[in-house]
Amino acid sequence: MTSHRLPVQPGELIDRDDLVDFRWNGVEHGGFAGDTIASALAAGGVEVFSRSFKYRRPRGILTADFHDPNLFVQVGDEPNVRAGHRRLAPGMNVTAQGTWPSLEFDARAANRIVGRFLSPGFYYKTFISPASLRSTYQRILRRFGAGGKIDPATPPAHAGKRFAHPDVLVAGGGPAGMAAALAASHRGARVMLVEENHRLGGHLLYGGPDAAPPLAELCAQIEADDAIEVLTDSVVSGRYDHNWVGVVERHGGEEHLVKARAKCLVVAAGKIERPFVFAGNDLPGVMLSGAVSRLINLYSVAPGTRVVVATANESGDAAIADLERAGVEVAEVADLRRSSSQLVRAIGKGKLEAVELSGGRKVEADLLVTAVGWTTPTSLLNMAGDRPVYDPAAARFLPGDLPQDVLAAGGIVGDGPVESIVEHGRFVGFEAGRRALTTRAAWQRLTPRAEPSDEVAAESTDIPELPAAGHPELFAGPTDGFVDFSEDVKGSDVAMAVAEGYDSMELAKRYTTATMGPIQGKLGGVNAVAVHAAAAAATIEATGTTSWRPPYAPITLGALAGVDEDPVRYSPMHDWHVANGATPIVAGQWIRPDHYGDPSREVLNTRSNVGIIDASPLGKIDLRGRDVTKLLDFVYTNRWESLRVGAVRYGVMCAEDGVVFDDGVTARLEADRYYMTTTSGGAGRVWNWLDEWLQTSFPTWDVRTTAVTDGYAAMNVAGPRSRELLERVASEVDLSAESFAYMNGRVATVAGVTDCIILRIGFTGELSYEVHVPAGYGLHVWQSLLDAGSDLGIAPFGLEAQRIMRLEKGHFLVGQDTDGLTKAHTAGVGGLIKVDKADFSGKPELLWEGESGAPRRLVALQPVDGSVVPPEASQIVDSATEVSRTIGRVTSSRMSPTLGRSICLAIVDTPYGEGGATLTVRLPEGRDIAATVLDHHVHLDPEGERLRG
Amino acid sequence: MARYPSRYSALSLLRKGATRSNWPRAWRHHELKSSYDVVIIGGGLHGLATAYYLARNHGITNVAVLEKAYIGGGGSGRNTAIVRSNYLTPEGSAFYDRSVQLYEGLTEDLNFNIMFEQRGHMTLAHNDASLRTMRWRAEVNKLGGIDSKVISPAEVKELAPAIDISDRPRYPIHGALWHPPGGIVRHDAVVWGYARGADARGAHIHQGTEVTGIDVAGDRVIGVQTSHGPVATPIVINCTAGWSTLIADMAGVQLPITTRPLQAAVTEPVQPFLDPVIVSGTLHVYVSQTARGELVFGASVDPYSSYSSRGSLGFTEGLAGHVLELMPGISKMRLLRQWAGLCDMTPDFGPIIGPTPVDGFYVDVGWGTYGFKAGPVAGEQVAAMVATGAIPELIASFGLERFEEGALTAEKGAAAVGH
Amino acid sequence: MLVIVCPHCGPRNSNEFSFLGERSSRPAVATTTPDEWRRYLYTKDNAAGSQLERWFHVSGCRRFLDVERDTVTNEIRSVRDVAEDAR
Repeated sequence: MTSHRLPVQPGELIDRDDLVDFRWNGVEHGGFAGDTIASALAAGGVEVFSRSFKYRRPRGILTADFHDPNLFVQVGDEPNVRAGHRRLAPGMNVTAQGTWPSLEFDARAANRIVGRFLSPGFYYKTFISPASLRSTYQRILRRFGAGGKIDPATPPAHAGKRFAHPDVLVAGGGPAGMAAALAASHRGARVMLVEENHRLGGHLLYGGPDAAPPLAELCAQIEADDAIEVLTDSVVSGRYDHNWVGVVERHGGEEHLVKARAKCLVVAAGKIERPFVFAGNDLPGVMLSGAVSRLINLYSVAPGTRVVVATANESGDAAIADLERAGVEVAEVADLRRSSSQLVRAIGKGKLEAVELSGGRKVEADLLVTAVGWTTPTSLLNMAGDRPVYDPAAARFLPGDLPQDVLAAGGIVGDGPVESIVEHGRFVGFEAGRRALTTRAAWQRLTPRAEPSDEVAAESTDIPELPAAGHPELFAGPTDGFVDFSEDVKGSDVAMAVAEGYDSMELAKRYTTATMGPIQGKLGGVNAVAVHAAAAAATIEATGTTSWRPPYAPITLGALAGVDEDPVRYSPMHDWHVANGATPIVAGQWIRPDHYGDPSREVLNTRSNVGIIDASPLGKIDLRGRDVTKLLDFVYTNRWESLRVGAVRYGVMCAEDGVVFDDGVTARLEADRYYMTTTSGGAGRVWNWLDEWLQTSFPTWDVRTTAVTDGYAAMNVAGPRSRELLERVASEVDLSAESFAYMNGRVATVAGVTDCIILRIGFTGELSYEVHVPAGYGLHVWQSLLDAGSDLGIAPFGLEAQRIMRLEKGHFLVGQDTDGLTKAHTAGVGGLIKVDKADFSGKPELLWEGESGAPRRLVALQPVDGSVVPPEASQIVDSATEVSRTIGRVTSSRMSPTLGRSICLAIVDTPYGEGGATLTVRLPEGRDIAATVLDHHVHLDPEGERLRG
Repeated sequence: MARYPSRYSALSLLRKGATRSNWPRAWRHHELKSSYDVVIIGGGLHGLATAYYLARNHGITNVAVLEKAYIGGGGSGRNTAIVRSNYLTPEGSAFYDRSVQLYEGLTEDLNFNIMFEQRGHMTLAHNDASLRTMRWRAEVNKLGGIDSKVISPAEVKELAPAIDISDRPRYPIHGALWHPPGGIVRHDAVVWGYARGADARGAHIHQGTEVTGIDVAGDRVIGVQTSHGPVATPIVINCTAGWSTLIADMAGVQLPITTRPLQAAVTEPVQPFLDPVIVSGTLHVYVSQTARGELVFGASVDPYSSYSSRGSLGFTEGLAGHVLELMPGISKMRLLRQWAGLCDMTPDFGPIIGPTPVDGFYVDVGWGTYGFKAGPVAGEQVAAMVATGAIPELIASFGLERFEEGALTAEKGAAAVGH
Repeated sequence: MLVIVCPHCGPRNSNEFSFLGERSSRPAVATTTPDEWRRYLYTKDNAAGSQLERWFHVSGCRRFLDVERDTVTNEIRSVRDVAEDAR
């Protein structure tokens, strides 16, 4: 291939001593360090980089920067890489995307021939019948999807994020942004300056020899200023409420998210050159003036050999100068500022061959350069609530009203020579610094105990106007062309949408998909608006832009996700469980032992000897003060005033709608000291809820709450020999049945550890003691109990065995046997609802539920065939009706090793829940079985003899 | 029968292409009349479907749909376009089952391809408790004749190979609820199809027409005030979302609704790799790949109430983290665009459909995050209710009075996110 | 991410707080009716504009706060400790 590389250009970014090898569609290529993928390929003579989405048309360089819609390529396992921006790296494997069978010959390009039938919304109008073929059409259509390929073997990303706290954040590192950063810094602000490209400078970078001195001066000043943090190859992705700003730092393909609370945001995003709508405007060889200047000045690549330039502004004029300097033959200049001069169409088969100008004149060329004006990148301003205003004299949208903490500087606002742009940036930066420091001082004042803040002069600076230069309104020529290159949408498509009734810009956008592709309308959005306005016989002002949504530029999911992982919690005995063969189970945030091999054996051993379970995830709250009893009386449905020191009571908590919300026991350890346990999942919720009532309704009560879930390890020692075991290791406590009865609690010393709390309660239905020990001693006490009980047949049991035993005993689990609508009567704890108490949470609803009767009730259920365990969630059906109707469901079910039969809890409609009733349970496989309702919830030991022994 | 100015078909498409002639307007402009038999507030999916079925099923065509901006610009155009019927309660699943049936026939009924792709809907279970809820749903669904079952992790992998079923993740996959009829629709197409169908049958669609007041005499509706003048009518149906309580306030009706933003996002397109819709309630995320190759993501509603649809950065961070937990291999895909819609959240996550204490003022609101999939059936049933004066069985449990009676719908028992 | 100026901790990111909904006042339990009680439970003003609402500084000082916020712009006008009013 011929080299299109020019001799050394004054401002070139490439390092000619550093050769970089890479592959393009399987073929070895070479470039220089500093090249983008596209510039290296262009230097090597590549003209076609992609195929278009709908018509599969060949596409080449259009803008040669980040926003080029035609330069999306696959790099290794990374799809949709922007070759006009991404720097070349050694060994890169670059391929064209979505082409079949190859980039040079795409079989689906046949679409071009039928193009006239692929009008906007053609999908909506066809494939309507027969319905039987629709899924086939859908499969075929999906094959035409755009974009690169996902490699499922892509390793997980671990891209760290960071926070930043700049006073002023400047989006855009061109002359205005650089000047604004410098001025804000001189004002005393800490500044973050973010630039999309690999270097600061904006359009000065490719502005040719004249732009070099001012650029060098600005760069030197920025370099010398320690208060300015410069992020290049980075982008401000979005501005959110209260100036929360996302910034994406890129390092090649790797991205990191920076989250900044900018006290003031300066948007200096410049201008984006827009394409012109005319026939053939997407042919390879048709470029915007910026592309030409970039290729020549930054990468020393000749963009063509014989060029026609259609210019309406100084950017086009500059491109002519660049082309002449590069030795490209300028065949014709069409000055579009003169009304007599028109660009009619680009002609060529697969690439540009000639250009038709006014009067039918054809000029042979392999390069056509257009310079017809700008699209204003108002995206960040729009996110800050601004609605840009169209200025017909300047032929572009300009910023409207901005909030106090956002300012716009430079080319996005107006035009002028470098000095004026820099001057405007300075004023804006100075004012931004003032506003930011004012906010900083205010925040310091509002922070109790903060250092006193510096005083800030309140005088605001008047920012001089930077008027937008006059520009002819050039959007579309006399022929039809593309308004959206990435979506393959033409001007005529937009016009047709309007004619069909999609006559607001938002509707036309959705109907044609113009501006909805990866470029998001940044290049041609204003063209779509202009074409729409013309078709609807409306003005561009009245048509308005569509809403810009974040992010400003696409962000990898890896960068957004970062390395944050949800926390996992382990008990102090976790390592012991792992070492002793426990099978883990995820229970909320906790990783717990599900079992140690055989849950049934764990149950039987506990029921006949003694078992021990790690109960550390239980929620634990330490309550102190004179008014704790009042609080308990309010948050539980039952009565607490009579609780004496040393006693433990069970209670149910209901929300204000009467729905069961949590349950557990509370012990009164001393006159003003109580110890509450909650469900594991409810620990945080209950604690917050107690504090809410205390602060919002009972602020004068003397109660202090402390969450001590992680402060205590807990273990339950259960079984007929549990007392014998505990007597061997506990001291300073009388464990005899007379002195330490069921539902009592004591502070004691266990295995030499003082200040342990022992609660005699029985979730498993056995004689059992819940031992709470300071967490640091958890493993020691656990091990001591196991050692002391070796001759008693002690064995650990896991969550599964506990679930079996609690089900044998008929205890319900909040959230499993109850749901978001289960009120306390339904759960079968009516006896614990004391409606004669003056007040408690949920009282009115429970009073009324008690009066009217609960519509459903929780019952114990036993399948008639005790060998069948109906899976949890099996439906209970009314088999009397013709169509099976659900009247309830099994909420818990297990095979009981103790009873040798299956046992269940179930929620059923009240009329079906009488003891002795036989119900029909539909198993998931479709078979029905009979099951009997028990008189009470308890399957095993209804008298509680084991428990109270 | 509808009189479409031009029927859509492959043949008509060819003819238009060959002759390069234009299609007629899909719906027409009309002057706002001074009175209508029925005024529908809100030109979204629900309002347009109601107008369509009033005409199609009941011959009521003197109907105005008043839309303050452009049709389908609210929730109808901002949702993630998922359709399914595997709800938890018998009432819920019967209702949505009817909606799926309507969606299945809608392309032909509307003569407008809504691109309903029934690629299946998969709700992942990451622990015992959620697997139990999946089985609960599957069992209720089966009783209602809905195709729904619990599948194993290996079956998950077979249907969606991009999903990581290893035990590496923080939230390992224990199984899933699999619902083959579920899928995705081109949401705008449904709105446009109903608009075109309602227009062809005589309803007037007024875009850019904002309702500024509702006239009530005694306890009866007599008309509405609009930005284009007053309209007399005996029947007003509030089919709005986001602003439903503000509209109801105009009639003096208070609703148990809080407005919350619901955010969504879309990636750059890639070649097809994901067929079914994937949902994880535990991770609060749902994902599907469109026909164009983009991944569309949704999550749970925002943490605080708001009328703002500006969106947040935190949403995209959480979303990406959760998606990569499910599919670690897609970390190099890029998020292209995020947006938000406004959802009307009710205390029991069930909608409010039916009459109100003001005669002639009906509501079809409170759809929370489920409004899109319910559009066709809601329109059909509301039309039947208004036309017959009787409340159809399918919506009987969704009345406003249930909050006064404390008889909330049981869908509340479902997971926080049940897309 | 909003900035909420906690009266105890100063300006903090809103993800340190949990939102508890618009403020409501609890009817007298002894005399309440189902109608009144369920209005307390379920009915909301849902104002588009200024709203008095409750937040909890859960990852901070654990105080419950009354916040006046514009639900359209998300501008926060005032923040007070609830107990100051309740006491």
